[in-house]
Amino acid sequence: MTTKHPSCRAIELDLVATATGDAESRAAQRVHRHMDGCAPCREEFGRYRAVDHVARGIRPEPAPEQLAQARTGLESRLADLRQRRVAYRIFPSPLGHILVGRSEHGIALVEYLGRGTTLSASRLGRVEGVEAVEGGPELERLQRDLLDFIGGRRRDLDWTLDWRLARSDFERAVLEATAAIPYGAVASYAGVARRIGKPSAVRAVAQALRWNPLPIVVPCHRVIGTSGRLTGYAGDKLGWKQQLLTVEGIKLRAAERDYRIAREAMYALGEGETEYCLPSCGSIGTRSLALLTLFASREVAEARGLAPCTSCRPDLHPLQIV
Amino acid sequence: MGLQPFEAVVASHHAEIYRYLLRLTSRSGDADDLSQETFLRAYRAWEGLDAGANVRAWLFTIATNLARNYYRSESRRRRAYAGVSDTRSDVDPASPEEERRYRETRALLERVVDGLPLKQRMAFVLRKLHDLEYDAIGKSLECSPESARAHVFQALKKIRVSLNGHELPTMENVR
Repeated sequence: MTTKHPSCRAIELDLVATATGDAESRAAQRVHRHMDGCAPCREEFGRYRAVDHVARGIRPEPAPEQLAQARTGLESRLADLRQRRVAYRIFPSPLGHILVGRSEHGIALVEYLGRGTTLSASRLGRVEGVEAVEGGPELERLQRDLLDFIGGRRRDLDWTLDWRLARSDFERAVLEATAAIPYGAVASYAGVARRIGKPSAVRAVAQALRWNPLPIVVPCHRVIGTSGRLTGYAGDKLGWKQQLLTVEGIKLRAAERDYRIAREAMYALGEGETEYCLPSCGSIGTRSLALLTLFASREVAEARGLAPCTSCRPDLHPLQIV
Repeated sequence: MGLQPFEAVVASHHAEIYRYLLRLTSRSGDADDLSQETFLRAYRAWEGLDAGANVRAWLFTIATNLARNYYRSESRRRRAYAGVSDTRSDVDPASPEEERRYRETRALLERVVDGLPLKQRMAFVLRKLHDLEYDAIGKSLECSPESARAHVFQALKKIRVSLNGHELPTMENVR
């Protein structure tokens, strides 16, 4: 190529841009004015037009079956990922930082992070077959619901649950029986064991609840010892259990290094019965907690469709709440 | 979840992203892998994406990053050079003679484009074959829109020079 005139060099970038449809109108005007008096640049312009034209033709057109195959491969990997994916959110609460995790099937995990504040403190990152991803604003509602619940401003968490983190059918059965204990009520570990048809598996029930992947939502805080003591929660967080139960209106008294349910201040429902009683009704007061569900108020009992006992008449002689 | 169902994103953009990666890699197997990876990454980040985001440009950015990693290994790059690009003409020039010449020029052009430095090649393909804005190209290549423009300019100049002496299709109406 011969050496270019300085004015041609100065306009080169604009010339290429104009020829390839990439220039602003002022630059294009300058180029055209220049070309009116410059034959070599006119020719150059034509070459670039042609180059641009051919260049746009090198976009590959894969065969339709090739494209379809790529798409099918993608769809199957996406389906697999979607299945494994759990979107999570971590937020502070009166009970320390909490993580909620949701899959496409429902809420799969509620976890107390203890002193941790990040995913590394959670078991979610270590579960095989689960891909944890930080969730977006759509998980904010879960946070709000949960904080409202802990604060006593909300009584139910109408969440769809994903039981994938239950490690066995037995655990799942324990969790579902526990989920059936209503707001404002308590039952015992032995009672839950009876409800799933394994009355002697009391320790196994307690163990399963220790690993409850959905605390608060599956209210393991409503499960206590047959002695009436709270016995344990989230490791050594008895105070949290006491807090959650108190919010629900359940009466507790401090016992040494623990709390005890105030049986005498609660209504009771015998196993298999449909009427709730005063604690003084018949043998109720001495019956094992394995056979009872206790309610904090008539209101919560009746919300479950229970009728007042026709002999002790809790409706006529309600407990005097102290 | 997200702004629209992710299925809709796949439906609208998969073919284009695949073509882009096929152009860059010249190998359908690699385009397959990289396009899958692009959409899997996009899916993972989908919920965190801003409502006003340009989804198409965002997908090109992910694909470009993956393609750059792919080319980090020089041996792979050489392998890709040797690869035969399985493209078909979508242009229907008038006469067989002109068609033959067009094909030759195109084949030459493909080799020239494949031989460009990676950033120039990507900028060129994004601009000329996918009509992306320079803003978006800059984001993909982690440079300013001006640099993106300069990459395309350099690419065109090199292509222009290497096509010297080759007859190009005549462009009627130069203006």
